[in-house]
Amino acid sequence: MLILRTLAAGPLHGYAVARRIKQCSAQVLEVEEGSLYPALNRMLIKGWLKADWGTSETNRKARFYHLTDEGRKQLATEAGKFNRLVDAIQLVMKTV
Amino acid sequence: MAYKELWRRLLYLARRARFHSELSEEMQAHIECRADELEQGGMPRAAAMARARREFGSAARAAEDTRDAWRIRWIEDLASDLRYAGRALRRNPGFALTAIACLALGIGVNTTIFSITTSFLFSVPSCRDASSLVAIFLGGNSARPMTDYKFIRNTHVFQGMAGMNPEREVNWRNGDQSTRLYAGLVTDGYFSVLGVPFQLGRGIAPGEKDTAVLSHRMWRGRFGSDPSILGRTIVLDGRAHTVVGVLPGDNKTIVGLGFSPDIYVPAVREDDDVQLYARLPDGTSSAAARAQLQSVLQELDRIDPKDGWKRSANVRITGVTGMDLLAQQGMDPVLAFFGMLIIVVGLVLLIACTNVASLLLARAASRSQELAIRLSLGAGRMRIVRHLLAESLLLAALGAIAGLLIDVACGRLVSSLQLPLPVPIQLVVRLDWRLLLYTVVVAILSALIAGLMPALKAVRKDVNAGLKSGHRMTERRWGLRSLLVAGQLAASIVLLTTGFLFIHNLLRALSMNPGFDTQHAVWAYMRLVPEKYKDQGRQMALVTEALDRLRALPGVEAAAITRRVPLNDNCVIGADVSTDLSSTKMPLTYQCINVGPDYFRAIGIPLLRGRDFSARDRKGSERVAIVNETFARTVFGKRNPIGHTITDFISTRRVVGLVKDSKYFTLGERQQLAMYEPYFAQEEPVNLNFIVRGYGAPAAYVKPVTDALGRLDSSAAIETKPIIQSMGLALLPSQAGAAVLGAMGMLGLVLAAIGLYGVLLYSVARRTREIGLRIALGATPAEVLRVVCRQTFALVGAGTAVGLVLALLATRPLAMFLVPGLSTYDPGAFAAVIGVLGGVALLATLGPALRALRVDPMTALRYE
Repeated sequence: MLILRTLAAGPLHGYAVARRIKQCSAQVLEVEEGSLYPALNRMLIKGWLKADWGTSETNRKARFYHLTDEGRKQLATEAGKFNRLVDAIQLVMKTV
Repeated sequence: MAYKELWRRLLYLARRARFHSELSEEMQAHIECRADELEQGGMPRAAAMARARREFGSAARAAEDTRDAWRIRWIEDLASDLRYAGRALRRNPGFALTAIACLALGIGVNTTIFSITTSFLFSVPSCRDASSLVAIFLGGNSARPMTDYKFIRNTHVFQGMAGMNPEREVNWRNGDQSTRLYAGLVTDGYFSVLGVPFQLGRGIAPGEKDTAVLSHRMWRGRFGSDPSILGRTIVLDGRAHTVVGVLPGDNKTIVGLGFSPDIYVPAVREDDDVQLYARLPDGTSSAAARAQLQSVLQELDRIDPKDGWKRSANVRITGVTGMDLLAQQGMDPVLAFFGMLIIVVGLVLLIACTNVASLLLARAASRSQELAIRLSLGAGRMRIVRHLLAESLLLAALGAIAGLLIDVACGRLVSSLQLPLPVPIQLVVRLDWRLLLYTVVVAILSALIAGLMPALKAVRKDVNAGLKSGHRMTERRWGLRSLLVAGQLAASIVLLTTGFLFIHNLLRALSMNPGFDTQHAVWAYMRLVPEKYKDQGRQMALVTEALDRLRALPGVEAAAITRRVPLNDNCVIGADVSTDLSSTKMPLTYQCINVGPDYFRAIGIPLLRGRDFSARDRKGSERVAIVNETFARTVFGKRNPIGHTITDFISTRRVVGLVKDSKYFTLGERQQLAMYEPYFAQEEPVNLNFIVRGYGAPAAYVKPVTDALGRLDSSAAIETKPIIQSMGLALLPSQAGAAVLGAMGMLGLVLAAIGLYGVLLYSVARRTREIGLRIALGATPAEVLRVVCRQTFALVGAGTAVGLVLALLATRPLAMFLVPGLSTYDPGAFAAVIGVLGGVALLATLGPALRALRVDPMTALRYE
């Protein structure tokens, strides 16, 4: 979900995805860099992402991932589920 | 969604190598990006790279995980199984070739019989939308004159009407000789209403009287596939016709059953009979059309009554494809024959499969150590079963391909075959999707049957026992393989018995006395052009002249004319018959044959009492008849029939002669009643059959007879042959049965022999040590042989016993195909089968037995 959310803003290459997640979560969440690629590939298989070769800001050849329509849909449902979960947890935390 | 996913995975599978290099490139870029960042923070390049790598973790593992994500497990497993199986088969070519050959033969004969059956029984006519076409039967009749056709067509009950008479003949003037052709007489709408596709040109257009359409066979055979044939004029029955079209080679007529005339010409006369076909209007059911047709026919019956007989009485509308065609009368024996063929070839395939199964079992057993090691190293049982199944699947696929090649070869053969029939039958055997589907199903089934048992058996084994190094004698005496071989022998006994039965049947039919002389007569068939003989008496003059000339030929003993040649044509009359002795009407069914004077002498049927016909027995004189013994016995009992009269529904005839019984339509028929009438007692047909009997060999008379008749009328088509050659139709069922079933029986036997050989060889190989021990302890060669042969006898004995019982039961329904007097309980056939099987079993034992004798005790015992 985090990857999908990160890519929702626009196409990024693998390293940028990892860096973005780290930055946005204020260094709390750190995606293990090695497991990033299997995760990206699983999403390629599902058809949520597409990948194209391009040049990074540091002039390196890199693969850029971007969301497909299906990926956007998936992000919406997962975000919805997650929000409900968080709401439920907060509810429990408040009542107890 | 799931499909897309599968598709992406398959794409990946196809571009694996490139994908992986891209992935590692990508990860390398990731690490370098991180290093760049660290370097900007002031770290030296080398340290930055090291740190970036550390942070990334194991690239190899990431790559491995990514690969796993993409993978389709079962496809890759299957591919590796197949690769492994292919290697294993290549390493063991003897085994692989035997198994593939067995399967190829089994599948080959199956697909061949299947394709013949479909092309014969289930052929869809070459028409546009055959499902909306129907055949129409009025008053129970299959053919109606053109007047009826035109009346129904003009009522527009149907979207289109077509009529065809497939059983006409025309004389084709070909250079200086005339050739009889099988012609289809068609109405002008025939080709367009049916929507028949053409190779060249077009169909016969409305109003055309002198055009013709050629069959592909005729175009190729008689005109050398001349591409400029269209527009060519050919002379048919003395009239010039223009060729306007050529049908394609795979054309199948609406009549079905492989029926295909040489040429199509338009029906021009009002009294030409045609079978009616029609296209149902869209959305009209055949029941609704039938109701409309019925009212139309009642109207026609009123306008044009046919004394007592009503067209509207028994109206049938049937489809022209599939089961509708098969439901026609008289098809039962044909269906039964093909049904039997399918069963027989199914048995052959079963034997082939068991052969492969027992080969695979042997392999699995000899590989039990390997499998045990794999099992103990943790391979899943299912995985191993799958692997073994992949091997048999590969075998089946190769076998199926080889089988299809056999089938294509056989199909070519059958398509080029001219059956010895007095009707134009041409089977179009082509590879089609049904056949491919059938082959694939057969192959997969045989792979499962042949592969599952050995595979399951192989993994059920105790791992520990398998791991021990010896192939000890742990197998029970009656293992699965022995059962398979015994079953095979039983099945091949059934096949062989059937084959022998039919061969015996053929021999019996060949030697059967048809009641007339087949050795000394020639049959000259002369077809006259109808238009030249319209005048009364012209024909009689010609026949008289012809007979005079034939009798004048040197060496000719007798010559006569007849309407029908026995065993070639059938004319059965059903009538209520009374006599001058008793007025009670007897319902009788009898053959009716019009013959001229001297017929009985020419064809060699003895005249027992009374006189032969003479030239004075003709129209206008007293009606006379000659009857056969069975007729006389049925009608007059033991009395002398000469001088008495017979009355059927229209006329009375005086019996003047009595002749011996003979066969009339088939050799296998029960004795029929027959009544002969003088040749010119009725109307004069244009088809003349002369029977000429000479003193010498009949072949010598063929040319003089043809020449003598040809000089009388050059426009007549003449075919002359010794009468023995005209018995094709009568012998066809027994010949076809003997050829096909005999061949299947032999094939089954060969396959079973291979199986027996294999099982014995294998058991000798496994018992090498035991035999070596026996020899070392002083066993004589005879004793060693006894060990091997005991197994043969046990297998053959058990198989034979079961097979004989099955054969007794299975051949019972075949009685309908056999000549009278030959029972399915045929001790000769059974004895022959047992003899052959015993001989083959001995041959199959020979190799293994020799090998057992050659066992060297020292080598054999070294491992102990």
